[in-house]
Amino acid sequence: MQIDVDSLQTYNELAREGAHSAARSLSQLTGIETRVEVTNLSLMTPSDLQYEYVGSEFSAIRIELDGALVGETVLTFDTDAGDRIAESLTPNGNEQLQRSSIEEVGNIMTSGFIDGWADHLGEVIDSSPPVFIQGSGMDVLTASAISRDEQLFVFRSRVESTAESIDFDILFVPDRTSLSSVTRPTDEGISFRKLEVFNSMTRNGAERAAENITAMTGFQTDVEINRMKFVPIEEIPVTVGDRRYVGTVMQFCGKLNGYLVILFDHPSAEAVVDALVPMETDGEWSEMEQSAIKELGNIMTSGFIDGWANVLESSIDHTPPTFVSDMGSAIMSPIVGRMAQTQDHAFVLDSTIQTDNEGTFRCEMLALPNGTELRDVLCDLLIERAEKTHVDPSEVF
Amino acid sequence: MNVLIADDSEFMRSLLREILDGEYTIVDEAENGVEAIELYNDHNPDLVMMDIVMPIRDGIEATNEITDADPGAKVIMCTSVGQEQKMKSAIQAGAQGYITKPFQKPSVIDEIESVVTG
Repeated sequence: MQIDVDSLQTYNELAREGAHSAARSLSQLTGIETRVEVTNLSLMTPSDLQYEYVGSEFSAIRIELDGALVGETVLTFDTDAGDRIAESLTPNGNEQLQRSSIEEVGNIMTSGFIDGWADHLGEVIDSSPPVFIQGSGMDVLTASAISRDEQLFVFRSRVESTAESIDFDILFVPDRTSLSSVTRPTDEGISFRKLEVFNSMTRNGAERAAENITAMTGFQTDVEINRMKFVPIEEIPVTVGDRRYVGTVMQFCGKLNGYLVILFDHPSAEAVVDALVPMETDGEWSEMEQSAIKELGNIMTSGFIDGWANVLESSIDHTPPTFVSDMGSAIMSPIVGRMAQTQDHAFVLDSTIQTDNEGTFRCEMLALPNGTELRDVLCDLLIERAEKTHVDPSEVF
Repeated sequence: MNVLIADDSEFMRSLLREILDGEYTIVDEAENGVEAIELYNDHNPDLVMMDIVMPIRDGIEATNEITDADPGAKVIMCTSVGQEQKMKSAIQAGAQGYITKPFQKPSVIDEIESVVTG
């Protein structure tokens, strides 16, 4: 099955409009002003999606869809936000009434989210009655969605309130067969299967990068989340956020051109530097410390992109790393500015690497390939070579 | 044995110095491909440990120029790049060995001994 990039853009816009509609509904019902922060489409495994919610308790409204588009939507709030919404709708109401009010809010918001899809398709999408759930990561999706042996397309919008801390995610996970049935046939599209394979290759690359971190620093790291996002290019800085990071930026070129950004949060960067060049510092990043971070970025980048080059039987060069220390959005803005000259949506390959025991070490790897070249690369990709990501020099020399 | 290190990373040069110190004599260090060629001509070392990704001129171009001028030159690529096509380019440029970063001292010493003894 093929999907064309124009359809992905259309679906992303439908999801964004749906999120605006849902946010408006919430504002009308509760008086709480909200705004849509970001909307994107991700290709990811069910376990990666669940991992994003691990460790946080949330309230959610799940609605299953049938008809022209089969799948499920999940509206998640953190538990406190759910309580505040219920309190604003039914002050002094009993627990049953408050739960009912939350379910109805979810129902109305989800309808706003889904109606645009139905209108776009000119068909009917039926909704199940809303189901209220409270839980954590494992509970986001239904068992049937989790048990599928395939990566999921996940439309996600992040909506935040402007005054109160009532933030929520809208997830829409369409059944792939159903999504393919509404996608217009095309000869110039991207194969779903190849997108999935490329995403798996990227996970392998991230795992190799994690192994390299372990070899250099001694931290036992692993890839916790890996996903391929399709996102409006101007939203990329917002996605990365305003948290301060230290890391490297590199440009890769050859069969595939683009940028690779590695971001360590400050405690992780300090831990890395302590492991690589233990010395007293004055709080600034010395030349040797910057050099250590750059070299780690260099080695991680190779681990990441070598697999693509080997599978494609080509070479992908990368520039020496540039050291960066700034807010995430500020690091991403100049990159996005350059990419925006040729494309208005981008594929972002996003991997999170961290230590088993959370808190010691965490870094984000973001690869932003040129969209047109990625499509060409996927056309050329031989699925049977997808495992050939690693080459031992002794086999060549 | 005299060794020239060519790597743009101060950190990586210091790591290599630690590994090679006591085993071999480090005659100099280059921070890019152009410097590597100049310092090779100045010192005529027995071995060059050459990074690939460097500014101004990369390690494969520098190796090519060094081995063109001195067919007896011994060069080991010492790089994070693990791409088969790059390895083939390194062979074409005249490199005799290839080590991928991150590395441990024994693997570096083994590769050097293997290249030097032919």
